[in-house]
Amino acid sequence: MIARTLTQMATLAILALPQTLAAETLPAPTGEVLLTITGEITQTNDGDAARFDRAMLETLDPVTFTTSTIWTEGPQEFTGVPLKTLMETVGAEADSLAATAVNDYAVKIPDSDWIEGGPIVAYLQNGAPMSLREKGPLWVVYPFDGNPGFQNEVTYSRAIWQLDRIEVAD
Amino acid sequence: MVDPVIPPTPEEALAARRRRSRARAGLALGTLVICVALVMGMALFVLREIEALSSANSDNLQWSLSQTDVEFLRFRLAVEHAQMEPEALDQVRRRFDIFYSRVTSLERGDVYRALRADPAYVAPRQRIAGFLDDTVPLIDGPDAALQAALPGLAERATTISGEVRALSLAGLSAYAELSDARREGVMRTLIALAAVLGCLFAGLVLIAWVLWRLSRIAEFRALELSRAGERTRTIVETSPEAIVVSDAAGNIREFNPRAQAMFGYSRAAARHRNAINLIFPGDDAARMRTGLLAFLESGGAPGEGASHFEATATDAAGRRFPAELSIARAEAGPLYIIYVRDISRRKQAEEGLTDARDRALAGERAKAEFLAVMSHEMRTPLNGMLGTMQLLRDHSLTERQSDLLDRMDSSGHLLLGLVNDVLELSKFEAGKMTAERKPFDVARLLDGVIETAAPLASAAGNSLGWSWAGPARAVATGDARRLRQVLLNLVGNAVKFTRGGSVDVEVEVLKGGEMLEVRVIDSGIGIAPENIERIFHDFETLDSSYARQAGGTGLGLGIARRLTKLMGGEIGVESEPGEGSLFWLRIPVGAEATLPEAEAAEPAAPALRPLDLLLVEDNEINRFVARQMLEAEGHAVTEAVNGRAGVEWAESRAFDAILMDISMPVMDGPEAARRIRAGRGASADRPIIAVTAHALPEEIASFRAAGIDYCIAKPIDRAELLRTLAAAVDEGAVRPTAPAAPRAQGLLDRAQIGTLWDGLPEARRDEMLARVVAEIDTTIDALVVTAPDDPALAATVHQCAGNCAAFGLGALRAALAAIETRAKQGQPVQPEALTALGPLWAETRAELEHWRAAA
Repeated sequence: MIARTLTQMATLAILALPQTLAAETLPAPTGEVLLTITGEITQTNDGDAARFDRAMLETLDPVTFTTSTIWTEGPQEFTGVPLKTLMETVGAEADSLAATAVNDYAVKIPDSDWIEGGPIVAYLQNGAPMSLREKGPLWVVYPFDGNPGFQNEVTYSRAIWQLDRIEVAD
Repeated sequence: MVDPVIPPTPEEALAARRRRSRARAGLALGTLVICVALVMGMALFVLREIEALSSANSDNLQWSLSQTDVEFLRFRLAVEHAQMEPEALDQVRRRFDIFYSRVTSLERGDVYRALRADPAYVAPRQRIAGFLDDTVPLIDGPDAALQAALPGLAERATTISGEVRALSLAGLSAYAELSDARREGVMRTLIALAAVLGCLFAGLVLIAWVLWRLSRIAEFRALELSRAGERTRTIVETSPEAIVVSDAAGNIREFNPRAQAMFGYSRAAARHRNAINLIFPGDDAARMRTGLLAFLESGGAPGEGASHFEATATDAAGRRFPAELSIARAEAGPLYIIYVRDISRRKQAEEGLTDARDRALAGERAKAEFLAVMSHEMRTPLNGMLGTMQLLRDHSLTERQSDLLDRMDSSGHLLLGLVNDVLELSKFEAGKMTAERKPFDVARLLDGVIETAAPLASAAGNSLGWSWAGPARAVATGDARRLRQVLLNLVGNAVKFTRGGSVDVEVEVLKGGEMLEVRVIDSGIGIAPENIERIFHDFETLDSSYARQAGGTGLGLGIARRLTKLMGGEIGVESEPGEGSLFWLRIPVGAEATLPEAEAAEPAAPALRPLDLLLVEDNEINRFVARQMLEAEGHAVTEAVNGRAGVEWAESRAFDAILMDISMPVMDGPEAARRIRAGRGASADRPIIAVTAHALPEEIASFRAAGIDYCIAKPIDRAELLRTLAAAVDEGAVRPTAPAAPRAQGLLDRAQIGTLWDGLPEARRDEMLARVVAEIDTTIDALVVTAPDDPALAATVHQCAGNCAAFGLGALRAALAAIETRAKQGQPVQPEALTALGPLWAETRAELEHWRAAA
């Protein structure tokens, strides 16, 4: 009896607080979903998850920079959504995220990297979309050349390619 | 050859120490530079390593490589699965793409560049690439075709799986090697680092050692410096002289205890005060500042004379004292070190010494003067006595009286000799004598000496003579008078100490004519060797009966020695008691010379008939002299003692001529001449010749007015007198109109006195001389004490001047004449002029006596 009452009260409270948790405030993706963000986020568009297609990502103030990487030959131009913008868009409420690739590679990226001048979730390489064979469609790229502080193995390990899932969690 | 070891001088030691110290500092500096270079090099090296390590350029390679294997396996699984379930074709495509992506990464990524050079890796990779390229069309193709090709694909995948394995293994081994190489690199870096650290440590040790040495040296020097400072301080503190140190501005920095005692300021009171103001307060300061010590406040160096000088300093109490200052400038600062010595005591002592010396000299002078005065005073009465004795001989004496007179005369002359000796000595003592250098006739001098000593020699029964030893020499240059005196002394001594023997004088020219040696050899008693030295000393008489008998002051040889020395010569004696003595004398006589030519002879006096002459002259000596001259020429002379007597004689008798003195008592010459001319006496028209010692030009005019026809000057020159007489009695003769110019006024006119001497009978000469000397003595003595305004002065002076003129005493006559002129003109006579007569007479008389001794 008591439990039921509590449940009812909680339900009421949740209903009374508009858009507190898991409110479906993000527009729904129309094309192929490239990235799914789950976990402690406030903005979603599919239940507990926030799903992004290419068009949605393209609307999130893209950033373009040129850098070399240890996996490519010569300087490359990358365009994409800053991780910071993305996390703000989804209302991330944890200080870390776990990014997972199509090939099941996974790495944790702490919120200390979600900063201005930090990594972007790139969807264009040299102005062209990246196929899966070319480490696409999404690749977390750090501005290695612009900030030598990023030239270390920890950062290299966070530069995850073929990204398709992010879970925001401590 | 062994080089003597020369100890280094302090300068060299200092230089060596500086060199060592400099070398040590250089070593430290070099080491420091090397260390800094090492540290910088190492820092660069380490920084580069850090850089290299900080920017990792590798991913997790092993993981990536093994992941190739995993992803290929998943692809194969997807292919297997899709063969059974056709819906799973998408998975096949996805897994292929992933694998494809991985292989592309290996192919293109920078991190795999090293890997791509490995042949063990290249072959499998190419085969995998071939497989991928073959498969891509299938994967990208339609589902049906892919579905159909799946079995073949699986089969091919199986065959290629070994290659994938090989690829990943090759990568692993390559990266293991790479890792090894990198570890080795780090190791090498660490070893290099250790080596650099070692070097650095060694360098630091070296630097520490050098610094330690330097600090030891500095400590040692500081100690030395402080010791030196301590020593200097002690020296300054205990210095017996005041030391004042001032800086470039002239302010006192140091003031030692002696300075405090000397000036009466404490150190604290003196410090920072101005040195010049303190040592020379008041007006002295300004004088010093513009004078000697100008440099002191401008930082300059002390000038000539300023580094050491005497000045008068003043202390705090105002006591002024003579001080000796030495000032040295020390470059550091600069500082001036002023040494001040109070020399009051020294000055006092110096003054005392000077006083004592002056007193002693004054005493000596007083003694000499006393001697001179005493001798002079004794000679005056002595001359009087001798003169009087001569006069006494004119009277008729008994034989006994004559004998007594002879003894008196002998004693008197002996006494006179003694007095003369003492006077001579006192002149030496007064240093008034100088030797003459004039040519003289040697033979004539020696003849004179022998002649003078001959009476004594013959009285003692001795033979006496002189001769040349070697070639003769006619004329020598020197002081003939003094040489004669010395020789007379030597010969006189020889004659005195020889009885019935011989005295020979030998003369020899030595040193090519430069030197004359005279030897006086006697056969007398000789001199004992112990006495040889003594005999030339003053007041030495040998204690022998002969000596006592011979008498004397004992000054003779002393004077001879002095005279010889005065002439620049030597005197000595060799003697054998009982055998005789040899006195020798050497004097420089200069080169051969000639006697000055005799003065042009006066025109010979004309021969005159015997004349009858009246001589009016108040002065007995002049009267006597004139009479002797005239009588010698065969003239008859009548004497009148003054003008009145002369007038009386002229009236009663007709003389051929009248010689008239001018200044006379009772009636003077011009008055007498006027009366003679005015009267009708027998001689009223006879020529009157004035004889005047001293006539003023206007007086001569008045003489003529009075009727005087001629003037002749006193002293009377025989030739002039005779010429004038001739003129007066013979109208044809030249008539002189004025007296001849006065002669040169030396002490003694030898020509004049010589004329007089020759004109006098031999027997009367000495008598005349003694008389005139006694008379002048008396007159001068009186004149010296006469008041300058005494009315009798002119007459007295005139009388005396007449005597002087007769005997050629030129200087004395001139002095007397000058006094007479002033007195006559009514001008006051200076008392000094009167008192000066005494010494002048003394000199004149000495000259006269020398002349007499030589004559």
